[in-house]
Amino acid sequence: MLRDARTRLICASVTLSVGVAALVLTFVYVAVTSIIEAETRSVVEAELAGLQDDYQRLGVLGLAAAIERRSKSSDRRDAIYLLADSRGRAIAGNLGAWPPNVKPGGGWVELDLIRTDSEKTVPVAAASLRLRDDERLLVGRDASALRRFDRVLFQSAGWALIGALGLSVLTGWLLTRLIFSRIAEISRTADTIVSGDLGRRIPLRGTGDELDQLSLTLNEMLDRISELVDNLRMTTSSLSHDLRSPLTRLRTQLETLENHAGDADERARLTARAVGEVDRLLKIFNNLTEIARAEARISRRDFTKVDLGALVADGVELYAPVAEDKGLTLTAGGQADAVPGHRQLLMQMLSNLLENALRFAPKSSQVDVTLTQNGPFVELSVADQGPGLPDDFVQTATKPFTTVDQSRADGGSGLGLALVAAVARLHDGEVHLSNTHPGLRVTVCLRRADPPDPRVP
Amino acid sequence: MSRRLLIVEDDAETRDFISKGFSEQGYVVETATSGRDGLYHATDGGFDALILDRMLPEIDGLTLLRSIRAAGISTPVLMLTAMSAVDERVRGLTSGADDYLVKPFSFQELHARIEALLRRPQDQQETQSLTCGDLVMDLERRKATRGTRDLVLTPREFQILEFFLRRKNRVITRTMLLEGIWDYSFDPQTNIVDVHISKLRRELDAPGELPMIQTVRGAGYLLVDKTET
Repeated sequence: MLRDARTRLICASVTLSVGVAALVLTFVYVAVTSIIEAETRSVVEAELAGLQDDYQRLGVLGLAAAIERRSKSSDRRDAIYLLADSRGRAIAGNLGAWPPNVKPGGGWVELDLIRTDSEKTVPVAAASLRLRDDERLLVGRDASALRRFDRVLFQSAGWALIGALGLSVLTGWLLTRLIFSRIAEISRTADTIVSGDLGRRIPLRGTGDELDQLSLTLNEMLDRISELVDNLRMTTSSLSHDLRSPLTRLRTQLETLENHAGDADERARLTARAVGEVDRLLKIFNNLTEIARAEARISRRDFTKVDLGALVADGVELYAPVAEDKGLTLTAGGQADAVPGHRQLLMQMLSNLLENALRFAPKSSQVDVTLTQNGPFVELSVADQGPGLPDDFVQTATKPFTTVDQSRADGGSGLGLALVAAVARLHDGEVHLSNTHPGLRVTVCLRRADPPDPRVP
Repeated sequence: MSRRLLIVEDDAETRDFISKGFSEQGYVVETATSGRDGLYHATDGGFDALILDRMLPEIDGLTLLRSIRAAGISTPVLMLTAMSAVDERVRGLTSGADDYLVKPFSFQELHARIEALLRRPQDQQETQSLTCGDLVMDLERRKATRGTRDLVLTPREFQILEFFLRRKNRVITRTMLLEGIWDYSFDPQTNIVDVHISKLRRELDAPGELPMIQTVRGAGYLLVDKTET
């Protein structure tokens, strides 16, 4: 029973609120009763002192008269007096005789006594004195009203506690129902996802509370997972296709090689082609590994502060002779702060972008690499003046194994831009492609180490 | 005197391929199939270079390397690894090794790197000028001449030529150049290094002159100094 989280929560809430209520009520009860008792005591002690004065001044008869007067007074119905002689017999007052268990001058006592005026046994709280000639004086108060008040106070406290108990059970139940129904909702959604429906999402209440925040985060996580699963699904099917063709070619070449036992030239030619085929396969494999590693964010362990300006300068310098051979102008412009990043992967990314641009740029055109700082991002863009991309292709170009023309012989593996996108994501950034008519501009946004303080203008 | 090489590799195919290749190049090759076996052979001494696989049964390549170094053996070591080339950790994890090579590799690449390792001490010599035939490079004045002709080189071309002159008569592969000159280990789809070399060649060889830098098919480049070998 207590294993149930809801029951545990309700129990905790009840224990807490009832405990607090009990503590407060006890405090009030003790405070109220002790204040009343202290007041009674001080009145009784004052009276006792006054009566002793009367005794000093007027003697035992004067005192007896004063007591008779006081005990008959109608506005002191709860007052108890007794003046007794040295053997305990009553001289004046509203008690029959000196109670045997009270020692005169022995301090404050509480006991049940019979009042002679009403003939009733009442609870009495009293103080006593031994007088000069061994007479005894007792002054007290009938405590029955006080006892009644005490009982009522105690009972109200009890009711209050029972009320607190009920209320706390109710609020506990309501509260847990509120939370647990949301949790049950999340758990139901998770169950449907487990049974295969990756498209399901946790419904949001729109309240923006913590549970909505949690649901939102979980939904975002699910989006990311299903995106990855989709990518994986597509990659696997494309991969089997893209590996099958070169592997088939390789097989054919090796079989042909076997049949060309004599012709040395032909053998060398076939061997070179087979090695080329293997190299192409290895490149596909390497690219896929890099994409997977970047997606899995393993490479973040190798992050250092990378000077993008220097990286771009290196890239442009590396590819300048290639551009020159094609009669192209390759320029680098702009500058940016260093970003935390993977130097080798960023260079691989730039190299993929430059190779794409140089491949598609028409003769004697220009390829520009630009760095710009844009808020928390550094933007690296490579723009060519080539044919650009078909509009419907701009969105999907960064997915693995997508090439504009599937039959293009010299074409890449269709992994170049996919790797660019993966590297960008690794750096908490993204890739944007846009046709600039003429040409294509690929912009990679990378997150800077320290975003600028928004308070500083 | 033929050079002695120890190959520690558990994969039989790869081991035979490497050892056959080096035997044909005139090396005396010994092989070991496990880390323990490798350690035993290595401590026996007398090797000019070691080729270690990173993943080995019993004692892995890294532990083996540490043990060898702890035993005071400073023989140059080349580590073979199956890890990705752009992975910076490859450098970190194989530290203690003098060089590393990512699988799969071509034999020419491995051969070139082993040759480079064997001649490394020569590089330590402080020199003010480097020569190769009628090519003279003044390292202090940053000037190079071929015969009577002053060569007009960019700082990068000067750096590439110096790289070759310090490794005369040794095959230099494209990845060695990319790593050694530019300090990048990424995988270019096109052969950018070739374009840089052909640009350097245009400046280096006047029409009618013998080409200084030769292409080695399937491997890389070679700067031949006929006076030295």
